[in-house]
Amino acid sequence: MLIDVQDMRRVYRMGDNEVAALKGVSLQIDYGEFVTIMGPSGSGKSTLMHILGCLDRPTTGRYLLDGTAAETLLDVEMSRLRNRKVGFIFQSFNLIPQLTVVENVELPLVYAAVPREERRDRAQKVLDAVGLGHRHEHRPTELSGGECQRVAIARSLVNAPPLILADEPTGNLDSATGIEILRIFEKLHQGGTTLVLVTHDPEVAKWSERVISMRDGVVERDTGSRKSAPRPAVTGTGWREEA
Amino acid sequence: MDVREMLSSGVKNLVRHKLRTLLTMFGVIFGVAAVISMMSIGEGARRETLEQIRLLGTNNIRIKKAEKTVEQQENEETVSEGLCWQDARDLADKVPYASAVSPIKFIEAEVYLGAKRPEGIKVVGVNDMYDEITNARASSGRFISYLDEKTAARVCVLGSEVHREIFGIGEAIGKSLKIGEENFEVVGVMGQKNFKEGKTAAIKLRNINRDVYIPAATALKRFTDDDYPDQVEEIAVQVRNAAFVVPAAVLVRRVLERRHYGVKDYEVLIPDELLAQSQRTQRIFNIVMGSIAALSLLVGGIGIMNIMLATVTERTKEIGIRRALGASQRDILGQFLNETVLIAVSGGIIGILLGAGMALAINLFAKWDTVVSPISVLVSFGISGTVGVVFGLYPAQQAARKDPIVALRFE
Repeated sequence: MLIDVQDMRRVYRMGDNEVAALKGVSLQIDYGEFVTIMGPSGSGKSTLMHILGCLDRPTTGRYLLDGTAAETLLDVEMSRLRNRKVGFIFQSFNLIPQLTVVENVELPLVYAAVPREERRDRAQKVLDAVGLGHRHEHRPTELSGGECQRVAIARSLVNAPPLILADEPTGNLDSATGIEILRIFEKLHQGGTTLVLVTHDPEVAKWSERVISMRDGVVERDTGSRKSAPRPAVTGTGWREEA
Repeated sequence: MDVREMLSSGVKNLVRHKLRTLLTMFGVIFGVAAVISMMSIGEGARRETLEQIRLLGTNNIRIKKAEKTVEQQENEETVSEGLCWQDARDLADKVPYASAVSPIKFIEAEVYLGAKRPEGIKVVGVNDMYDEITNARASSGRFISYLDEKTAARVCVLGSEVHREIFGIGEAIGKSLKIGEENFEVVGVMGQKNFKEGKTAAIKLRNINRDVYIPAATALKRFTDDDYPDQVEEIAVQVRNAAFVVPAAVLVRRVLERRHYGVKDYEVLIPDELLAQSQRTQRIFNIVMGSIAALSLLVGGIGIMNIMLATVTERTKEIGIRRALGASQRDILGQFLNETVLIAVSGGIIGILLGAGMALAINLFAKWDTVVSPISVLVSFGISGTVGVVFGLYPAQQAARKDPIVALRFE
């Protein structure tokens, strides 16, 4: 099991008030699944994604990510876990504008202490795979939205994490470009990568094989795994080799 | 993220904002430049003083003629001849610590040979012990002898520059030249002594390479001052051991007081005391300069901190992104601290260069001795690094403590 969440609660303190964003969520996601988390704003799906991505900790409850109990870790350990196990893709791409495309893609490897030459090499490969091998010395500001998101995908893949978390990845793109990005996701999925996609767009959700609907901090509906044929157990994306 | 990685990305980031980086550095640059140039002036003055005191001899006592005050002149009871030749003889007899005593008589007279009349020559009457007292030896020939002094012989010993200007590279010993109206035989030439005209030192020395020495007895006999026939300008006393300088000075004062009937028409100079005094002055100078420099570095540091705080806010989004990609709080802290230290240390290096340039300019234009000591460079370097750490820590902590989720949403 890649993700194992047990009775997870997350309470924010706003002055004297306590606001519960998650009110007891339990879910499991296996290696190689393509899952969409859906729900209106305020449903707790963003909070869930932040905890799954090790950016936040649950107030109570347990979270096992690839066998590691994430909720008890120190900042350094949690950062390391995030670095090795999670690749983030954001709605607004979140590329650092001062860095070139290839430097942006290299960034997770910098924090994984990968030597410089190997870093450049691996960044180059994932950029080639998303079809941006020719633009690696450009700045993000010189790229279109679709290209930026492909850079972000390359960045999320470069450290070969077992989990890719995408937060509204098509939200800032026109529908044609959005479909292009979703095709890349589909390809990744076929390569064995575990994808968790957060969206409120039902059209996007259709691309995934499992939809988890959130409402008011609880899982309202889970279509469950639709996996017909068992996949070979894959750790890491296994995608670079294929691409 | 290792150190090399951090350094190179820090440098890149600072180069990206050249103007801002430079402006941020200015406080440190000028602070350090001030430290370096001030310390170079202080160090130059210190070395010059030391040099001059060394030339006087640290285990020597000098007695100088002082002008009588009006009160002393009016008081008929207190007739003193002023500092005289007999004083020197008395000191030699009565001060057991003294290993050598020489009177010093300055004479206004031209030294010439035919048409060669070098300028700025000092004719000095001394006895046979003067060379030992001042540790200045004849490089060829001999110094004035006991016999010369006893017989008031008309012999002279030339300073190296005088020798060069009158005889060139030719042999001078045995030749005769004129001092005033009298013929003198050259018996020796002094060795060259390093001499720098002091601008900042407490004691002024003449260029001894332009001295011509004759026996004191000859000076008094041939160039007699009719009002004060025995008067000399100075007496140099060499003390056997530097440890005895203070008790010797007490004795010297007592002997002279008795001989001069209590009239203070002389002053006793102890190079060791002058040295201590100049060191006290030096220390005050250092404290004042140190405070000014510390103040300017403080201002520089605050400037850096101010900019870094603004930078941290401006780069909130970047911090969020880096955190999401796996940067720990420590990585972020390191990144910003590293940038601040880089700014401060680069500012320090530029400041050191600028300060050294200023020291050079002061040396060239004001003719002051300036010495940029390695210690001042090291201290400045260390201080600028410390400024970077001290004033970078708070902004870096602010950066590290940002909640990554909030930071990611920051626009």
